[in-house]
Amino acid sequence: MLEAQALHKRYGDTEALRGVSLTVRPGEMFGFVGANGAGKTTTMRIVMGVLEADSGELSWQGQPLTYETRRGFGYMPEERGLYQKMKVAEQVDYFGRLHGMSRPAAKSATDELVERLGLTERRDDTVDSLSLGNQQRVQLAVALVHRPTVLILDEPFSGLDPIAVDALAEALAERCAAGVPVIFSSHQLELVDRLCDSVGIISAGRMVAGGPVEEVRAREGRRLLKVVVRDATPGWADGLPGEVSTENGRHVLLAPDGDDQAILRAAVQAGTVEHFGWQQPTLTEIFREAVA
Amino acid sequence: MSNVWLVARREIAVRGRTKGFLIGLLVSALLVVALAFIPKLLGGNDSYTVGVVGAGSAGFETAVKPLAEAEQAEVAFRKLPDEAAARAALADGDLDAAVLDGTKLLADGEVSQQLGLFLQSAHRALQTEERLRAAGLDPGKVTEAMRVPPLTEVSVSTVAGDAGVRAGIATLIVLVLFFLLISSVTSVAMGVVEEKGSRIVELLLTSIRPWQLLGGKIIGLGALGLVNLLVVIVAGLGASLVTGLATDLPPGITGIAISAVIWFLLGYAFFSAMAAAFGALVSRQEDVSSVLTPMTTLLMATYLVAFYAVTDPSGSVARTLSLIPPFSSMVMPVRMAVGEVQLWEIALAGGLMIVAVVLVLLAGARIYQRAVLRTGARVRLSDVMR
Repeated sequence: MLEAQALHKRYGDTEALRGVSLTVRPGEMFGFVGANGAGKTTTMRIVMGVLEADSGELSWQGQPLTYETRRGFGYMPEERGLYQKMKVAEQVDYFGRLHGMSRPAAKSATDELVERLGLTERRDDTVDSLSLGNQQRVQLAVALVHRPTVLILDEPFSGLDPIAVDALAEALAERCAAGVPVIFSSHQLELVDRLCDSVGIISAGRMVAGGPVEEVRAREGRRLLKVVVRDATPGWADGLPGEVSTENGRHVLLAPDGDDQAILRAAVQAGTVEHFGWQQPTLTEIFREAVA
Repeated sequence: MSNVWLVARREIAVRGRTKGFLIGLLVSALLVVALAFIPKLLGGNDSYTVGVVGAGSAGFETAVKPLAEAEQAEVAFRKLPDEAAARAALADGDLDAAVLDGTKLLADGEVSQQLGLFLQSAHRALQTEERLRAAGLDPGKVTEAMRVPPLTEVSVSTVAGDAGVRAGIATLIVLVLFFLLISSVTSVAMGVVEEKGSRIVELLLTSIRPWQLLGGKIIGLGALGLVNLLVVIVAGLGASLVTGLATDLPPGITGIAISAVIWFLLGYAFFSAMAAAFGALVSRQEDVSSVLTPMTTLLMATYLVAFYAVTDPSGSVARTLSLIPPFSSMVMPVRMAVGEVQLWEIALAGGLMIVAVVLVLLAGARIYQRAVLRTGARVRLSDVMR
């Protein structure tokens, strides 16, 4: 289990982190969301030891994080960094060796990743000759090559086409299934919603919501009752909670709360009910509310 | 330590195959080869052909031969029927000079200094011999008397060989050391900034320690600089063997070359640690040259002082600076090439330089470690020194 407790970080006059805590269990995919400048990157850099926190605790498997433990982690920084003049396979292999892999182990891990990420044909090309999407794949390969015990990825999906997103998501899910905690930050909330087991919403250096996605949804989100009625009598919903709008000649009632059975009866009387059901709030909605 | 080696190997593999490095290698080797050929091209030509016309010129060949041999020159003689033929051959450039009836020396313009000396001395000897015989002296005794052994050259110091050649070698050492130092050291700074600017350093420093990254980089790029220096030395010595210049090289040239290599390594360690520390302060390649200014100024000063030392190797300025780091890294090899240096001076200079290298490496590693993850605006030296 990877834990961060009450991380504080100050840059000059700005308080970047004001007590950020998070917990990621083995095999859990943790989505880290927040506006630009909210503190996601700072938190991840502190976890990776690239930056030092002013205060706070970090632990892995109950032990304080050390340089040696972190060497086993896989990291994808926000600002992508690769040697532009180095060949793809050569580069992945180099990072494997730097993480302490033996020559044959690094070689076989490189071959496997290069193939899995669809870079076989480019393996002997220099990085600067690759498209942005392919460079990102190399960046991921560099983060994965040493079979990391924890994966920390800063905006891994940004700038990728849908197919590359799927490939990356699959690679992460596979690592996750192998019991590796995965933390990634993203602005693509649907993606976080789809992939993650738990989320952390950070705003202005504070975790404003966090935990398993379903719990966050139940706790933070307001579910809405959605009723669609065709040929409805005007004014049928007067006195009921929520608001009515008109879409394609149908009345759509969105009610935050209330007696669903009473609303259903009123709707049946008013016209033909085409749709009736509770709507789960999307992560985007929760996010908007949480940071508002 | 294996991480240092990994980093060094990457630097060698990647930098070693760039066009810049390979071209530098080729150009430096060609320049040194060209330098070895220059004496030969600039009238350093020491094989001559001399035309002989008329009976009076007969004795020249035997008289010139020992003179030419003493100077390691070759003089060939060719018999010509008359003055007209000699003039034609001179005009065509087939002959360097022609002796006419033992009285006149013909040349296209002026006779080269060395050949003129040979011919005039031979002429004087021949004439003296003839006049002494004409005065009735015993021809056998005259010949005996004319056989004067040349003065034996003895150096009063342990320095042997031509002073001019030694100064030339010293100049070459200064030039080669300076250009290799500045190019290797700049690539260290560029490499540091490349890693910092691309943020790859964030990734690297989650798997290895800063000193390992820095050490590997300095060792790897230093190895490439050393390869370049060795290529220059081999090309220079090889070319001087081919051109025959090698016979003019002073004895102990091997020692001079070895000391140049050792002083290059010490100078490189000193300046590259400085370059890495300064380089770590900036994030953009455009800022490298301005942030390196203090280091390049020091290196330039060392270079100029070393040049001055070539002209006055035993003066007090050269003697003093040959002991003080980092000036010693270039002044000492110059003094060792040009003249006599006491063993204690070499030992003291080496010891002080090693101490300086260790101090600069420690300070450089400290600054590098503190500055290299601070991307963005230029980091102030005072902020990381505390």
